[in-house]
Amino acid sequence: MTSGAPTGVARHPDPDPAVGVSRDDLMALLDHTSAVIYMRDLRGRYLLVNRQYERLFDVRREAIVGMTDHDLFPAEIADAFLANDRQAAASGGPVQMEERAPGDDGEHTYITVKFPLIDTTGEPYAVCGISTDITARTRAEEEVRRLNSELEERVRQRTAELEAATRELDAFAYSVSHDLRAPLRSLNGFSELLQEDYQDALDEQARDYLRRIQTNASRMAQMIDDLLDLSRASRTELHREPTDLTTLAHDVIGDLRVAEPDRQVQVSIAEALTESGDPHLVRLILQNLLGNAWKFTANRPDARIDFAAAHDGGTQVFVVRDNGAGFDMRFADKLFDAFQRLHTATQFDGSGIGLAIVQRIVNRHGGGIWAHSEPDHGAQFSFTLAPPHPAADQP
Amino acid sequence: MNDDPILLVEDNPDDVIFTLRAFRKNNIGNDIIVATDGEQGRQLLLPDDDTAPIRPALILLDVKLPKIDGLQLLRLIRADPRTQLLPVVVLTTSNEERDIVASYRLGANSFVRKPVVFGEFLNAANVLGMYWLLVNEPSPPWHGPHRP
Repeated sequence: MTSGAPTGVARHPDPDPAVGVSRDDLMALLDHTSAVIYMRDLRGRYLLVNRQYERLFDVRREAIVGMTDHDLFPAEIADAFLANDRQAAASGGPVQMEERAPGDDGEHTYITVKFPLIDTTGEPYAVCGISTDITARTRAEEEVRRLNSELEERVRQRTAELEAATRELDAFAYSVSHDLRAPLRSLNGFSELLQEDYQDALDEQARDYLRRIQTNASRMAQMIDDLLDLSRASRTELHREPTDLTTLAHDVIGDLRVAEPDRQVQVSIAEALTESGDPHLVRLILQNLLGNAWKFTANRPDARIDFAAAHDGGTQVFVVRDNGAGFDMRFADKLFDAFQRLHTATQFDGSGIGLAIVQRIVNRHGGGIWAHSEPDHGAQFSFTLAPPHPAADQP
Repeated sequence: MNDDPILLVEDNPDDVIFTLRAFRKNNIGNDIIVATDGEQGRQLLLPDDDTAPIRPALILLDVKLPKIDGLQLLRLIRADPRTQLLPVVVLTTSNEERDIVASYRLGANSFVRKPVVFGEFLNAANVLGMYWLLVNEPSPPWHGPHRP
């Protein structure tokens, strides 16, 4: 048996296809594959191994012939190899199996094809094996499995944390809505009773103080309501359905007119504006945006509010425009943060939560909101209730 | 005008003062019986001893109450044939959707949120009194089960 370089090539510069290839040529072929190839008789004695086998298990082929796996491997592994050989011999044809053998860096996994060699009487006399090392793949798969289960565990943990936080927020909001308003009612009510019952005992300054208490108690009640709206906008489930924004806008403007019947505001609302959205939450958007437009046009004799839609690619963009006080675009980045106000309370009343609510609702719908304005030249708020249409990105 | 008493189930003493004041100010002269928790309210309506039960013209019910809360008391009121048809107005601080839905589901006739501004509170009390004591036609009192 030879080993080393395929020396046969030198002796047969021009092989004759009719004669075929020599045993050395075949050996050269076997020696140049990355698969582990071997042949054993039915008692497990080695008849032949290829170069990859020699390299891998650090043995010379001259030395291994006649040895069995029990001479080379721990008994447990050798038993498994022998059992697989016998299975192949009994099956009469090729069988495929996974085998494990020790390697320099721990156990390696092989995908092995074994087939018997049959003599002229039809009896198997040896078994050939071709084993391909799939350790890297197996290890990668194991790593993927491990990472996946780690990820799943982390997702489970985060979900549980998120659920706990939502439950807490819910309980907090519930208790706020019940408990924090009651003391404000007492502040407001007793200030009123003082003014009524002790009218003669109070001078104008005392009555002014009481009115200030009442004003602030009412403001705080409004802030609590707005905070609850903000928390509701985050925690309530989103129920999308075809929503009629035209009708909602008319309702909201109707409410504003009832609350301030003396205001003269010219309102134009486009017909048939519909979009998929949660009607309760979309109403909150319009209450805030139209409410703002209504509020910030208070000093205009020719107050005007428009509500319409434009199309940007496949996406519908809703626009609320007014000709009111407007704001300085330098501060636009603060617009949508809770409790940020661009006007003082004496100019325009408000808690500074309205646009934060709007942004949260719009985000939960997958849409966006942006604003444009100039001081004293009105403001324009545009929003969408869906992610940008993919077509919109195409040139 | 229905001159049966009004039952106010309310644990906040300030709110009791405001409610009494609001009814007086609106010239609603009915006696007002105050229960300061749900259990007291139940004992007045459905006593478990020989005490004569009260049959108010209107029950004003807070939601958050010690011992038996407002919604539990509402459930008891609606479950008993003797009190089943009494008008119950849930009068509360909350406007949480779950309280509103639960109140109506349990058979509340009305749900009113207590306004913070006292003037609005007066107004709400006036409207409630006018409607339930004057405009509304109550069910005749219950005289025991009908026998065929």
